[in-house]
Amino acid sequence: MANETQKVFDTGQPVLSIDGLNVSYPVYGEDPVQAVRDLDLHIQPGEIVGLVGESGSGKTTLARSVMGLLVQPGRVDTGTIQFDGKDLRALPEKQLRAVRGKDIAMVIPNPRSELDPLVTVGRQISNVARAHLGIKRDEADQMAMDMLNAVQIPDPDRRFKAYPHELSGGMAQRVVMAISLVCSPKFVISDDATSGLDVTVQAQVLDLLRALVRSHNTAMLFITRDIGITAHFCDRVAVIYAGEIVEIAPMQSFFENPMHPYSVMLLAAFAHNPTLRAKWHKPLASAAPAHGGACAYAGRCVHAEDHCRQNSAELRELAPGHLVRCHFPVERPL
Amino acid sequence: MRVLRYIGRRMLFIVPQLVGIVLVSFLLVKMIPGDPAVMMVGPMASAETLAKLRTELGLDGSIMYQFWIYLTNLVQGDLGTSWQTTRPVLNDLFVRFPATLELITLSLLLALLIGIPLGVAAAYFRRSVVKKFSDYYGLLAGALPDFWLGMILIYFFYTIFQIAPAPLGRIGFAVMTPSPVTNFLIIDCILEGNWQALWSTLGHLILPVVTLGVITAGPILKMTQSTMERMLESDFIRYADMCGLPKSVVIRQAFRNSLPSIVTIVSVLYGFLVGGAVLVEIVFSWGGAGQYAVQGVLNADINPVLGFVLFSAVLSLIIYLIVDLIYFAIDPRIRG
Repeated sequence: MANETQKVFDTGQPVLSIDGLNVSYPVYGEDPVQAVRDLDLHIQPGEIVGLVGESGSGKTTLARSVMGLLVQPGRVDTGTIQFDGKDLRALPEKQLRAVRGKDIAMVIPNPRSELDPLVTVGRQISNVARAHLGIKRDEADQMAMDMLNAVQIPDPDRRFKAYPHELSGGMAQRVVMAISLVCSPKFVISDDATSGLDVTVQAQVLDLLRALVRSHNTAMLFITRDIGITAHFCDRVAVIYAGEIVEIAPMQSFFENPMHPYSVMLLAAFAHNPTLRAKWHKPLASAAPAHGGACAYAGRCVHAEDHCRQNSAELRELAPGHLVRCHFPVERPL
Repeated sequence: MRVLRYIGRRMLFIVPQLVGIVLVSFLLVKMIPGDPAVMMVGPMASAETLAKLRTELGLDGSIMYQFWIYLTNLVQGDLGTSWQTTRPVLNDLFVRFPATLELITLSLLLALLIGIPLGVAAAYFRRSVVKKFSDYYGLLAGALPDFWLGMILIYFFYTIFQIAPAPLGRIGFAVMTPSPVTNFLIIDCILEGNWQALWSTLGHLILPVVTLGVITAGPILKMTQSTMERMLESDFIRYADMCGLPKSVVIRQAFRNSLPSIVTIVSVLYGFLVGGAVLVEIVFSWGGAGQYAVQGVLNADINPVLGFVLFSAVLSLIIYLIVDLIYFAIDPRIRG
């Protein structure tokens, strides 16, 4: 998979365009927490974009904003989310429901608690198909069965009638993939989807997901905490820190020449090179991101200078398609 | 098959459970001060009469001996005699229990009709008038005594508007009562085709059923609402939303998952109401089982009390068995 020649996506009409998105969670008696900040992201049809960041960096908030399902009391303050020419934020709830699961599907982690415990998994797949495609039960059941085959569940006839508690984590994850892909969506968001699985199962499931998405030319936003996965998986990589994209680049460019200190730190954390890790890890760093007049990463950056603490950084294109939000981009990690 | 095996195992435990219940309640009733012999012979009787009666009743034996006598009679289907009604307790209970069951079953149905839709709506529309209303309803239903509501209803609908029948029993005086078959008046009327009596029975049921139903809807409402709220926030409902399933489907899904809790609270309420409806029974002169037991306690008439406990226990065991079967039907994880 890693040796597949990297796809190049033209800059035509993106399937998903996020522009200037700001999402915040009001806190009683305090300033609201800004979870996503001035975020731009454009995804082409068929493109797989990896979104990497630590917990709390705004990955899931971004995904939920796209779905229009922010957890209370979160709200989108400004920005547009265009999907397939439609402004999702302006869409009424009922039409949004018709988009969710049909055109934009979501693959989620911990699938066993995400499935209805009282309904057989086959039915859960066909229910989604029925709701969106307006087809009869028999036809939907047949589609569900085809999907179970497509996600390579062993013994699909028996699994069709199984309840979620009777499945292993890996199988439940395949069922969730079947649900999300049954309506052939144009865009899939995978939110940390394999984090609960064993590493071996994880690899199988990811390979399968990638193959299915590729075969339908479906675009995907692949959210993960594991930067290593994105290397095999994505066409482009975006790194998010404190609600801001700090680096976004085509996969090859990113891994050959990471330029943001945070990206390098993430890569170093996964690398088996103690020198590299020691060089980029700042012990007891203040995690509190400073905004407004400072680079958000300045508090944790090993290379931060006074300039960084006084001036916020803008995204700059430093190589073709390779944008970095840093005053002093990294030239040589080691 | 699993179900049958399960029922069989449950049945095995019923007899020891019942013996335990009877023993405990026997000891408890015996601890209440008051000598039935004194009550029976009255204050003017001589000491010899009293002693003779005590011997006849077996009251001079040890308490364990008395319990043994009761148990051996019980095995032969003899629950003893009530000295107040001078009839066998079993016969009394066969009249009294259906009266109470008819009342509380209908009340619970009404309570379900009020509590479930209101609870579901309040859970779904978080910031609505319905939610406010159901909050106040739950508070009021928990705070108001049922007998008080009963008297208010009598005052308005019998005394002032004169549209409800007098609160004096289960059927009008001027109506031919149907011959007792099941002692459930509604069923007996239908069996006999006695529509006039049926009409009167239903009329007499309205006020007490509304009284108990409106109050009992409180806990059902609260349970439905809190379970539904939890379900609507659960992972699988969030996921159903992400899948874009229609609202009605999502709500139905959440409701199905709330059913076990609702069934549980209904079964608890049912068992509770068998004795708990007694104040309402008194207000409406219902002649139910609770009244029968309370009169027994007040007059040291031990057999009706024990008979009532035994009947209630059997009823509760049956209800819990049914509840377990419902769980079986709803939840594949239990069937598993």
